[in-house]
Amino acid sequence: MSLLPRPARLVAALLGAMLVLLIAGPLLRLLVEASPTSLGAALRDRELISSILLTIVAATAATLLTALFGIPLAYLLARNQFGGRSLLVAVLELPVVVPHPVAGIALLLFLGRHSAIGGALAGIGLAVVNHVPGIIAAMLFVSAPLLVTSAIEAFRSVDPALERVARSLGDTGWQAFRRVTLPLAGRGIVAGAILAWARSISEFGAIVILTYNPKVASVLIYDRFTTTGLTGAIPASIVLLLVALAGFTTVRWLQRRPAA
Amino acid sequence: MIRLEQVTVAAGDFTLRDVSLSVATGQYAVVIGPTGSGKTTLLEAIAGHHRARSGQIIVADREVTRLQPEARGTGMVYQQYHLFPHRTVRQNIEYGLARRNMTRRGRDARVSELAELLDLEPLLNRSIAGLSGGEQQRIAVARALAPRPRVLLLDEPFAAVDPATRRRLRDRLRELHTREAVTTLHVTHDFEEALHLADTVAVLSRGVLLQQGTADQVFQRPASPEVAEFVGSGTVMSGRVVPCADGDGGPFAARFETEGLSLEVIAERTGPTHALVRAQDVTLSRAAPSDSARNHLPAKVQRLERTGPVTRVFLDVGRPLTALITTESIDRMALAPGDDVIAAVKATAVHLF
Repeated sequence: MSLLPRPARLVAALLGAMLVLLIAGPLLRLLVEASPTSLGAALRDRELISSILLTIVAATAATLLTALFGIPLAYLLARNQFGGRSLLVAVLELPVVVPHPVAGIALLLFLGRHSAIGGALAGIGLAVVNHVPGIIAAMLFVSAPLLVTSAIEAFRSVDPALERVARSLGDTGWQAFRRVTLPLAGRGIVAGAILAWARSISEFGAIVILTYNPKVASVLIYDRFTTTGLTGAIPASIVLLLVALAGFTTVRWLQRRPAA
Repeated sequence: MIRLEQVTVAAGDFTLRDVSLSVATGQYAVVIGPTGSGKTTLLEAIAGHHRARSGQIIVADREVTRLQPEARGTGMVYQQYHLFPHRTVRQNIEYGLARRNMTRRGRDARVSELAELLDLEPLLNRSIAGLSGGEQQRIAVARALAPRPRVLLLDEPFAAVDPATRRRLRDRLRELHTREAVTTLHVTHDFEEALHLADTVAVLSRGVLLQQGTADQVFQRPASPEVAEFVGSGTVMSGRVVPCADGDGGPFAARFETEGLSLEVIAERTGPTHALVRAQDVTLSRAAPSDSARNHLPAKVQRLERTGPVTRVFLDVGRPLTALITTESIDRMALAPGDDVIAAVKATAVHLF
């Protein structure tokens, strides 16, 4: 039973309805613009299609890189206590509170041609700023916390005693990880990865500073809006919204499916 | 066989200090100790989950002190069972058979054998969710035994089941131990479990092993007040139960007969058995008391052992019997070695096992 008396429940419902309207309203309004003709036009728009593809490829690359560097770290953080552990976790969560253009500026200083690291990368032929690696770097910066924190939580939810049982039954550390830990933590990690991917897809602020061209979808939408106005920006917006919704739906589905 | 030689293990802020313990091949050993005494740490150290700082751990004639857990050949059953939730009952049991060079048929045969022994056949294709504590316990035991470990380590295996199930599981575990002939180390805080199961008993307290011996040795001659305080103390006798009247299947009045002594008891079955009389259940008086106790035994005081407010009295009633009496009563009765007294024991205070 709720703690709220009946009139208070009514007030809460009304306040909530306004909030939901503010979130769902604009998105529905945008989707109303989607008609077979406008979608057909969008699909024939070469620049838009290649920008969506670039966004998807870059977001996938950023997510895979985060997984490669972040999942082992997440396991380490979930299972071990060591000096500086909480500081390390705080650093990993920091990008959540850094305004995205600020992240872009910081990345530009760190990875730009005249920085030590940017210079070294350029030396081996890897140009970051104003190239695709810049997009990936910006996406990685803003989305990594989502994947890493989800993975830490997922690993924490697996009782270490299960791993000990597996070891006693003959598994090496790696085998126990693969046969017990990963299957049990997998769903949480995948959900985190999809969240990170969707976050990368939607990034604008950091990318626009680091790599304006080639344009990812969000930059293209901004570009069209400033050059051709609202009508020019709508088809691209709809397509990007649908891509993001697909990721979101997958996460919800993964979270609801009963454990295998 | 399991042998620990002065093993010191630091796990978190807990330390096992200089633990020496020996369990012969095929024996059933029970380590008893209160919560927080280091029982789980002891098992995990043997299984290889905590590194020993010093000392040696020997399992089946092989020094395993520095070996990885998977190379030690230990099977572990945790108090909470820790079954793999993403696998069926069958997949749990055969987990340890995966890389044992076994054919599918060999694996199936081993699973069937254990499923039959532990009454798990109807459950084999079930998922873990929704199984009772007793079922989970049996699955955990089957899973640990499947790869034929050199030693079986049991961490409070009955803690999470109701008393009736506990008794059934206890008998089954003893039977299984005999059939599989696997050296077993069982830790518990329950002395009764030790009495029922153990060939050898050790008492662990605050990371230190206080005493090891047979259940009667530990019970009758606690090595320190600490041991006595924890396990209690008293007398263990072996003998046989003979009926007084026809039993109807339920508990009935009977006599327990042992060398030099016969006691009235409440029994559930006749035949050879052990009896336990806790020292605090024995009362003493100068003349035959008019209490309701069924057993009034003429006794001679052998020795008094004063430990503060209580005194342990060693009696001869045709065989040794220990009583625990308040020091105040001892002084009031002016009891001294050589005195003749009457020891009274209620029929219900004689525990048969």
